[in-house]
Amino acid sequence: MTQPAAFTAEVFQNQYLPAGGQIVDAVVTVTASGSGLSAGGEAPSAAEVIMVDCSGSMADPATKMSEAKKACAVAIDTLRDGVAFAVVAGRHDARMVYPPSATLAVANPLTRGAAKDAVTRLTASGGTAIGQWLSLANTLFAGHPAEVKHAIMLTDGRNQHETPDQLAATLRNCEGRFTCDSRGVGADWVATELRQVASTLLGTADGLEDPAELPAAFQAMTQQAMGKAVAEAALRVWTPAGSSIRFVKQVFPQVEDLTGRRVDVSPRIGEYPTGSWGAESRDYHVSVEVPAGGVGEELLAARVSLVANGQPLAQSLVLATWTDDTALSTKINQRVAHYTGQAELASVIQEGLAARDAGDVPTATAKLGRAVQLAEESGHSDTAKLLAKVVDVIDAPSGTVRLKPKVAGVDAELANVRSVKTIRVKKTEEGS
Amino acid sequence: MTADVTRCPHCDAEVHDGDRYCEACGYDLVTGTEAEAQAPAGAPEARWLSSGRTEEVCAGCGGSSFGDEGYCDGCGRRRATGHDHSELDLDVIAAASDIGHRHRHNEDAVGIGLLPGGGGRPGIVAGVVCDGVSSSDRADAASYAAVDAAVPALLDALREEPGDPGRALELAAGAAQAAAALAAGTDPGTNPPSSTFVAAVVTAEAVTVGWVGDSRAYWLPDPLPADAPTAAARPAGEGTVGLTPVCLTADDSVAGRAAAAGGPPVGAAHPAGPAGALVRWLGADATDTAPHLSTVRPTGPGRVLVCSDGLFRYRPEPAELAAATPAGTPMEVARVLVELALAAGGEDNVSVAVLPFPPPVA
Repeated sequence: MTQPAAFTAEVFQNQYLPAGGQIVDAVVTVTASGSGLSAGGEAPSAAEVIMVDCSGSMADPATKMSEAKKACAVAIDTLRDGVAFAVVAGRHDARMVYPPSATLAVANPLTRGAAKDAVTRLTASGGTAIGQWLSLANTLFAGHPAEVKHAIMLTDGRNQHETPDQLAATLRNCEGRFTCDSRGVGADWVATELRQVASTLLGTADGLEDPAELPAAFQAMTQQAMGKAVAEAALRVWTPAGSSIRFVKQVFPQVEDLTGRRVDVSPRIGEYPTGSWGAESRDYHVSVEVPAGGVGEELLAARVSLVANGQPLAQSLVLATWTDDTALSTKINQRVAHYTGQAELASVIQEGLAARDAGDVPTATAKLGRAVQLAEESGHSDTAKLLAKVVDVIDAPSGTVRLKPKVAGVDAELANVRSVKTIRVKKTEEGS
Repeated sequence: MTADVTRCPHCDAEVHDGDRYCEACGYDLVTGTEAEAQAPAGAPEARWLSSGRTEEVCAGCGGSSFGDEGYCDGCGRRRATGHDHSELDLDVIAAASDIGHRHRHNEDAVGIGLLPGGGGRPGIVAGVVCDGVSSSDRADAASYAAVDAAVPALLDALREEPGDPGRALELAAGAAQAAAALAAGTDPGTNPPSSTFVAAVVTAEAVTVGWVGDSRAYWLPDPLPADAPTAAARPAGEGTVGLTPVCLTADDSVAGRAAAAGGPPVGAAHPAGPAGALVRWLGADATDTAPHLSTVRPTGPGRVLVCSDGLFRYRPEPAELAAATPAGTPMEVARVLVELALAAGGEDNVSVAVLPFPPPVA
């Protein structure tokens, strides 16, 4: 090799199955390394659209609007020269803030100054229809040659002025055309809506407890978009004849079930979208059901690669070997177990909070109790803290909890929107 | 299957109309004879054989397309690279290999090579054994690739400089390492194919062995004197060998290192468990792959056995192994030794090459 590989893929699994065993689980860690990426030459061309909520509630308290303006200015300053960009004001409709017409401007000192100037004149009035904002962003991106297309969407409230079906339809139109990070500010945003946007558009979702956190958050999101080295990559999974894929999930840095997003390349090969990549590392949990083999037989259960422009960037093999040695076949791979727990943690939080909203106290208590237990077991202290705002923890190891009678709405939404965030297993805890 | 496809009567691989030889096994389709020994380019007189053969058809589904890493593109089954049993016979030297009773694949590879003498110049013979490390993935990919690279490299180097077997062994080990590393394919993984390496070169003056790992070479006097010592022989090293059977290699294992540092003598039983753990091997994840070299000058006739632990685990002491090695042609001897290992349990793949000293003149 003449140049360092920018991408690596590493597989973690127990390849040994008992006689008759058919389920093969593996965690594949894909890492894009900074040195290899920067040596790779010029960054791909980029386009950025910032959607900022300007509904009436943004004035209450006024810091939401003032911090949002600061955040927009910081994001604009973070854009590289030459990046195409626009700022959109979101209300019950979507309007251009900068440039004035529905097109993308090219970042330079002059346009950045004009854009920041326009942002200072934003006022809070009107309602919220997130789908309208995304539609305008989609129009702005459409036909633009930029390789990396990224959007930031900030809202402070519920998506009131359109139906859930309308939002879903808009998201279907936008899917695969650009990525979008969604953020909520204040106390009235809805976690499921933010997650829906981020999940469909391969971005991240989060809520900000204090409007003062907005500038830093906008800067981080813009910086990440500017740091993307590969615009569009997919996880390609080959599986053998007679097998079926049980699921393909991203499990780090957040849980995202990709199973239903498969695009068939051939009967043996499917691709799952992963969006753009900077210097980062993500984990995927692949679970395959294979035809049982004889003891001693060895099978390639899956070949997992990250591909961009049809070229594999990194590849890893998932194997299955049948054995009658139970010491081998009963060993549980630490990472597979860890992420199985993290995925369950995300779903029990979401299910528990939904049950709580529906007034189903027994289900909510059981699910959130299990969540507390899983967070404790895996050492996920951030999630444990969020859960402690929703339930009184009586005994964490056994998952014994009581629902808090009074919970600030935003605490439940924070627990929900962050439910998908996972932690990695600590190296020291990992057995051989 | 289309009507115009014909198959090799020897190995059943697909052959084409007008082909003289089967591309898979070398069977002569015209005269109906088995493969001739292969000759390295530019050296028509050198001959060599190896136990390697890559299956053209998947044993799982009959498919014929395989990925770089040796798995069937259709059903994912691993491609077999070697025969369950092979016998290599160049008359003056011979080798045999068997899958044994416990393993699913024969991950041992063995090769023999002959550089005939001429004009009064004695010939040179060589044997190579590579034992796939069964705890690595697709170990046979490494061992077969290593043998098939090492034997021609060894013969080429010996033809250039017949007087420097040490250099030839270093070049052969280098070729074997490159081939074993390449066998990992595009995804070496965390546990890439790995193999041991042992090779012996027998000239009219000396026996030189090179090794990486815990496969071994033994010197056995021929005939074995009735009063040959039964105690373990002295460790391998420079010098002469004569009427005492000797192990010429020192295992690159935890126990082998301890023995070299003054512990139990080399040749003692091949230990299982951590003490038997390999400390050096060939493969994509190997860092220390220069072969250990040892040269001895025999004072009388004898035989050199190059073998995998599938054989010597049952007769680790040189004297025991010598006592179990009968008189006969190299092929007969190789067969008897493989049978001995199979009869004793056949716990592992078993391979042995039998080289006479002095090598034949003609």
